Amino acid sequence: MDQTEETDAVNRDELIMQQQRQIEKEISDTIPLVSEEQPVDSLNNEYMGDDVYGSKVRDLAAKYRAIRRTRPDGNCFFRAFAYSYLEYLAGHKEDYDAFKELALKSKDKLVALGFPQFTLEDFHDTFMEVIEHVSPGENDKQELHKLFNAQGYSDYVVVYLRLITSGQVQEGADFYQNFIDGNCTIQEFRHQEVEPMYKESDHIHIIALCSALNVGVRVEYMDRGEGGQVKAHDFPEGTDPKVYLLYRPGHYDILYPN
Amino acid sequence: MAGSALRRLMAEYRQLTLNPPEGIVAGPISEDNFFEWEALIAGPEGTCFEGGVFPAKLVFPPDYPLSPPKMKFTCEMFHPNIFADGRVCISILHAPGDDPMGYELSAERWSPVQSVEKILLSVVSMLAEPNDESGANVDAAIMWRDNREEFNKIARRIVRKTLGLPS
Repeated sequence: MDQTEETDAVNRDELIMQQQRQIEKEISDTIPLVSEEQPVDSLNNEYMGDDVYGSKVRDLAAKYRAIRRTRPDGNCFFRAFAYSYLEYLAGHKEDYDAFKELALKSKDKLVALGFPQFTLEDFHDTFMEVIEHVSPGENDKQELHKLFNAQGYSDYVVVYLRLITSGQVQEGADFYQNFIDGNCTIQEFRHQEVEPMYKESDHIHIIALCSALNVGVRVEYMDRGEGGQVKAHDFPEGTDPKVYLLYRPGHYDILYPN
Repeated sequence: MAGSALRRLMAEYRQLTLNPPEGIVAGPISEDNFFEWEALIAGPEGTCFEGGVFPAKLVFPPDYPLSPPKMKFTCEMFHPNIFADGRVCISILHAPGDDPMGYELSAERWSPVQSVEKILLSVVSMLAEPNDESGANVDAAIMWRDNREEFNKIARRIVRKTLGLPS
């Protein structure tokens, strides 16, 4: 490859990346990080005349009173989880106190697992600040919503949950290795798929985060599959869910049970 | 968002000033703008870049450290992993998925817990051990592999140039 071709190749990469950023910007300009509550049947707008989804939306609407959408930026699972769980904790003092204690101790645990203390602290401090702001005594019910739509806070919470998830995968490496496809080591998986922002989550992320924080999550799966009903899956199996999420291929939103 | 980036950059600057890694000086070009830094990197000992002091510029995005900075040498450089215009091309400056050079899966990538210090240390290693698999400068990569003597000669000339000595 001569110099001109090389420069062309570089320019093409730059152009693709520019276009990618443009698309991301359009998404971020039109969709809030976390929306207000909306009726479940508002989902129908996306599936006009689609019988499969139409019947599943009806099924979902019978079980849940509302949905809260998250921005599809690859962080939706972590953002939806954090919002939903903190909202639950704001109404449950005992669980809130236990979680705050766990969150406080998590920093030393992650440092012991090899994360650099200096950069970790930044995220941990913000994470604790957010937890502090949504304590059960807090009167302003909009505080959580404001914080989660302020990119600085919202994204830092996502980063910290990613680090906790990565730490859990490291700690349980023997177990999680079974879920990772053959040509990727645990370390590679953590650095490539868990820690970086905007990388989408899979079952392994959900299982690891739920176990690290000791929280049950119910995910309602809605896809083109047969049966006319959404399928619920609890992580870890058999636990009492505190967080309810809707999964549609590639995306998680928050659900509110009846 | 830029608020958390600024806070982080100020903390990193403080850290780098208190505990500077050997052979590296870095900080904002002007205290009015923490999003543009200059770095001076000493050529690693025992390599063809030994003795040189290489200036580079780092530009940070508003969502730093969620996304990595860009780095560009501002002096003449001849190296397999540095583009002709000075841009540094190593895996730690890219998040996974953002992969112009097809880095190996195991290569160290950007994540929010990385830091300026980690980047600069990676650049020092890159100077000491070029990766001729991901060639940003194909001529330099070929010469590094096939004609090391000529490569070393060019490197020594660049070293003298960075010191303001006649070549």
